[in-house]
Amino acid sequence: MDGVTRVACVWVESFAAAAVARAEPALREIPLAIVTGTPPARRVVDANAAARDASVREDMGEAEAVARCPALVRRGASDDIVASARRALLDACYGLSPRIEDSGPGLVFVDIAGLERLLGADDVIAHQLARAARSVGLPARVAVAGTRTAARVAVRRATRPSVIPPGAEAATLASVEVSALDWPPGVAEALARWGIASLGEIAALSRAALAARLGAAGLAAHDVASGRDVTPFQPWTPPPFWEEAQALDWEIDTLPALEAVLERVLERLTARLVAAHLAADGLQLRVALASGGHHVRALTLACPMDEPRPMLTLLAHELAARPPETAVIGVALQAHAVPRRAVPGVLGRSSAPAVRDLATVLARLVALVGAENVGAIAPADSHHPDAFATTMLRVDAEADAEDAGRDDDVLAFRRLRPPRVIDVETDATGRPAVVHGALSAVARVCDCAGPWHVSGDWWDRDRWAREEWDVALDDRTVVRLARDLLRGEWLLDAVYD
Amino acid sequence: MTQTSWLQRGRITEIVGPLSSGRTSLLLAALRAVTAAAGAAALIDADATLDPACATRAGVALDRVLWVRCGGRREAAVAALDLLVRCPGFALVALDAGETPPRLSLAQAFRLRQAARRADVAVVLVGRHRVAGAGAALAVRTRRQELAWAGPRRRPTRLIGMRTAVQVIRKQGAPSTDREEHWWTA
Repeated sequence: MDGVTRVACVWVESFAAAAVARAEPALREIPLAIVTGTPPARRVVDANAAARDASVREDMGEAEAVARCPALVRRGASDDIVASARRALLDACYGLSPRIEDSGPGLVFVDIAGLERLLGADDVIAHQLARAARSVGLPARVAVAGTRTAARVAVRRATRPSVIPPGAEAATLASVEVSALDWPPGVAEALARWGIASLGEIAALSRAALAARLGAAGLAAHDVASGRDVTPFQPWTPPPFWEEAQALDWEIDTLPALEAVLERVLERLTARLVAAHLAADGLQLRVALASGGHHVRALTLACPMDEPRPMLTLLAHELAARPPETAVIGVALQAHAVPRRAVPGVLGRSSAPAVRDLATVLARLVALVGAENVGAIAPADSHHPDAFATTMLRVDAEADAEDAGRDDDVLAFRRLRPPRVIDVETDATGRPAVVHGALSAVARVCDCAGPWHVSGDWWDRDRWAREEWDVALDDRTVVRLARDLLRGEWLLDAVYD
Repeated sequence: MTQTSWLQRGRITEIVGPLSSGRTSLLLAALRAVTAAAGAAALIDADATLDPACATRAGVALDRVLWVRCGGRREAAVAALDLLVRCPGFALVALDAGETPPRLSLAQAFRLRQAARRADVAVVLVGRHRVAGAGAALAVRTRRQELAWAGPRRRPTRLIGMRTAVQVIRKQGAPSTDREEHWWTA
């Protein structure tokens, strides 16, 4: 007895085809077949509902399938796409219940015991599960019953979310036709030979007699017909990394085309994260190359994000800076997931840029002017007149107490970087008298104050020593001149403004 | 009118004037007002002329200012301005276009004005000449009035400060007659 009293079965029919349609949403409404093998011996391994309506079946030759349905779209089987879709379905269910069981591609059991207080009645939970699966691009059927077996049988007939009331499993399953289920080889034929058409008739048979005639398959058939679980519930634990992958049928050798693929992959990945109430604070992009190698890029996000657009922008800039060496044949995107935090806004305070917006803008600015030219700064621990250090941009809304009330009206400098070398004529006392090549070709000094001797780093190779003058020129500019005492040249250092 | 009462979020303000007329001092006053209120500011510096020590003395919280240096590339400065104005959350986005400011077309200026309004950000354009034309809600011209020196008249020992006049040359919806003076301490 594993303690599960109410369980929902989430099942996606024709899962391989549904996984491909998830990656290419345009294929959802048109006949689609998944094929494997090498031409001309390619065979259909899965088909969506539209293709089955056109008599396309599994294990059918590709040529025959196309003959039956000329509009049939074929796609090769892709383990990456199926694995991503399988994880997506698990993630969607995990967002509603912490106890789920992975029973294979497209089949998930969800322990919903105790969720009624949080989410509502069984039918509400069933609808929410169907909605969660749809949010990650998978059309799922959902049935709720007292056992996994009963729910699994019921979900085959459930065109909309359905619920078997507690205790009514046997009565509900009794009317299910034997032909509605898949049976091991030999069992269906034997049951037909015995004239047994419904699960209720199987359940009425003696287990010992069934075991004697059909062996273990007979016992399993009796368990299914009785709606009995014989294996314990095996909870699924999500791994710390969330991955979404897409193999390509064609080679991509341009960044815009690669970005288009990444956008779709990111949309699927973020939909999964959102369904599980998570966000990503790091991404790892693994690009499969036509040369057989891999191109791996890691990206640390400035803040946890769950929106595809800013992430795509950051990835695009990363790829533009370091593009793959050869054509791309597949992409896999792995997100490091963290819980989302709700940050309440505070009325009456200055707004600050959202970190995700800021990260996007910073990435674009870096692409525009270079990383060394963007950022916040702080005074450096140096006496050099143009010393500063880079620092993190503060975007919190907490006012600095030490700055409150300051009202210094300081005459600003406009610093020339690098300082401009000029010619200066001095008078008999050594004070600047005429300046050549500053802001105008020739300018006479009206007033000047100085010199102030400053020096530093004398212990190092980058030692400096200079004398500075504040000078008012007759071209109506006020400048700071500096005489480099080591090189003996005059510099236009800054302009007062 | 205080030194920064002219700053309006969602509007474009232009400060024009020659060198040594006090236009950069006025910009630093605006940055100080924004950062003192814990707001985020961005300064696009076309010629990388900001002096961090001077800005710190003026009371600007430099760690709240995103400083973008464009190395003299005016088109990059305009592109950076366009990016930052569209990023909601900044209280002030300033472009110091230097001595050869670019001239925005009428369509560009109005798009900039629209973006500033949407993001609710105060845009300040500083340069020798006007940049945004009719897109600006307020334009002021700075002019040096007086320099003050310490020490003997013939051999001063120190520059004390500068008095500048600020003349409103365009004010949307009002006659442009305001004029005031500022004193800046060196």
